[in-house]
Amino acid sequence: METDVKSKLPSEHADVLGVQSQGTKQAELFTSSFLKRSLPHARGSLDDQLLRKAVVLEYNNPKKVKAKRKKAKGLNARERRELKVFQIKPEHHRYSLFLPLHELWKQYIRDLCNGLKPESNPQTIQQKFLKADLHGAVLTVVRSRCPTYVGSTGILVQEMKHVFKIITKEDKLKVIPKRNSVFSVEIDGFVSHIYGSKFELRSSERSAKKFKARGTIDL
Amino acid sequence: MSPELEKCSRSLLVCEKSNFTKEKSRYDIHVSKHYFNYKVSIVIPECASLPASIAGVINSFNSYYRVRDLPIYKLLEEEFLEKVVKKGQFYALSYNTRIDEDNTIAFLPSGQLILSVDKDTYEQLGLEGKPSQYKHRKVLRYVVTIDLTDKLMSPGAKRYQRLITSLKEWVPIKCDLMISSKMTAAEEDGGVLQNLLSQYSFEEHRPTLHTHTLKEMPCPSLHSTDRHGDEKSCDPHHFLEWLGAVSMDISSDNEASSFLSTYVCPDPQSLMSHGLLCTVTGFLIPEDIYSLLLELRRYFDEPKFTSWLSMTVHGFVDSPVSWGTTEHGFLKSGENFYNFVCFRNQDYWLHMATGSHDGCPP
Repeated sequence: METDVKSKLPSEHADVLGVQSQGTKQAELFTSSFLKRSLPHARGSLDDQLLRKAVVLEYNNPKKVKAKRKKAKGLNARERRELKVFQIKPEHHRYSLFLPLHELWKQYIRDLCNGLKPESNPQTIQQKFLKADLHGAVLTVVRSRCPTYVGSTGILVQEMKHVFKIITKEDKLKVIPKRNSVFSVEIDGFVSHIYGSKFELRSSERSAKKFKARGTIDL
Repeated sequence: MSPELEKCSRSLLVCEKSNFTKEKSRYDIHVSKHYFNYKVSIVIPECASLPASIAGVINSFNSYYRVRDLPIYKLLEEEFLEKVVKKGQFYALSYNTRIDEDNTIAFLPSGQLILSVDKDTYEQLGLEGKPSQYKHRKVLRYVVTIDLTDKLMSPGAKRYQRLITSLKEWVPIKCDLMISSKMTAAEEDGGVLQNLLSQYSFEEHRPTLHTHTLKEMPCPSLHSTDRHGDEKSCDPHHFLEWLGAVSMDISSDNEASSFLSTYVCPDPQSLMSHGLLCTVTGFLIPEDIYSLLLELRRYFDEPKFTSWLSMTVHGFVDSPVSWGTTEHGFLKSGENFYNFVCFRNQDYWLHMATGSHDGCPP
């Protein structure tokens, strides 16, 4: 069969069609390249694919030129520190600027706990608090192994993995490590004490963490 | 030797021999630095009754007040601080508090406030202090020393404000206090103290005096020139033991039939026909004790049968300081006392003793 395909056209037909048939070798090359382009996947040698198979020759797969997409890698910690994304400029160190944030937070907590009524069970409030975001809460250090931290009060501006950054009424940005301290958060008469040593997680990870119940915790 | 064995509890006895008239003798400093005294016991051999002069001095001792549930920040308020505390000669010690369990407060006459607190209170107080020297593995006790005469502690300063806030809001410490303040009539400050005390329940007390005559008992014969280690002289340990037995009314006969006590009178001894044991108890201040000591020195102005007399002053077992600002603790017993043996020729022996959780006496 192959020889029939590759054989020369008879001269009478060639004159009528106006086609000049090529030599044997050229015809072979032409056929193989045409078949390669037409076939959807060129796997292995052409002979295996074509033997006893019917191929639709018009099926042509236009090869798409994929534009190379650059993945957004994100900044690593060094670049973040250089760009100072998380630093608050000194002119923004004003307590009055963060009071609206505190109001927002109060609203958020009230919505979270379905309206803080005096009759609400402290246990349920506690569970919600563990998963809640504390940015904008008024924190007070109640107990600490280092006596100078005790008594610091302010609105929480940033929560990092090991540290709370709060802004005090005297417009000072204080950085208080979480370890070995007890913080108190107050909302509508509900006061919660947070043991900082157990809270050393990024706020995003805290929502997924399960906390164990302990009797008493010594600093 | 293993380190645990090295740290066994020990008691210290410091002995000093000198003369009252010598300029270099530091007996007055030792007396004045021992701030909180509970009991004075005087033993005079060959003396039938308490001499009138000594009785007179004891009667003129300062009376002390006992207040219940006084919040400490009241004693640090501006008016009281300026008029009473900073003037000096203001002594206060918390009552009914154990030095190893509860929070103890002491006001020293040098204008210092000492708070000996447990770990939880220290973490809540927020005042800087040092961990106690007498700790085992974990620190359970902290000592906060505040100098009220410091410029930085003047009313209005930040540190003073923090101190007041801490004692008023964060940890409101209330305790029973014994207060003694040597205010003379000329100074008007007494009014401030009375005003403050009248807001709380308080009582005024006078030091109580007991006299007991000792009959027909052996007593050691001491000579001022006795040297330690000499065969003839009496060992300080044995002498103090005998003194303790006498003041506790324990028989030191060491009879074979008695199983209660084996205390003996140390050799060399002589039999005394009668002797005097006089005890004064209360919240006694060093100034009064010093005047008593001067009076006892004058006892030998007239010829007497005996050649020596002894005065023992006991400190409070639960006081946070013993001599000066040396930290004092309680392990098996919190003794801190000193004993004067005065001789006819104005020589004296001074023994100062402390228990285990205590620094060395000066």
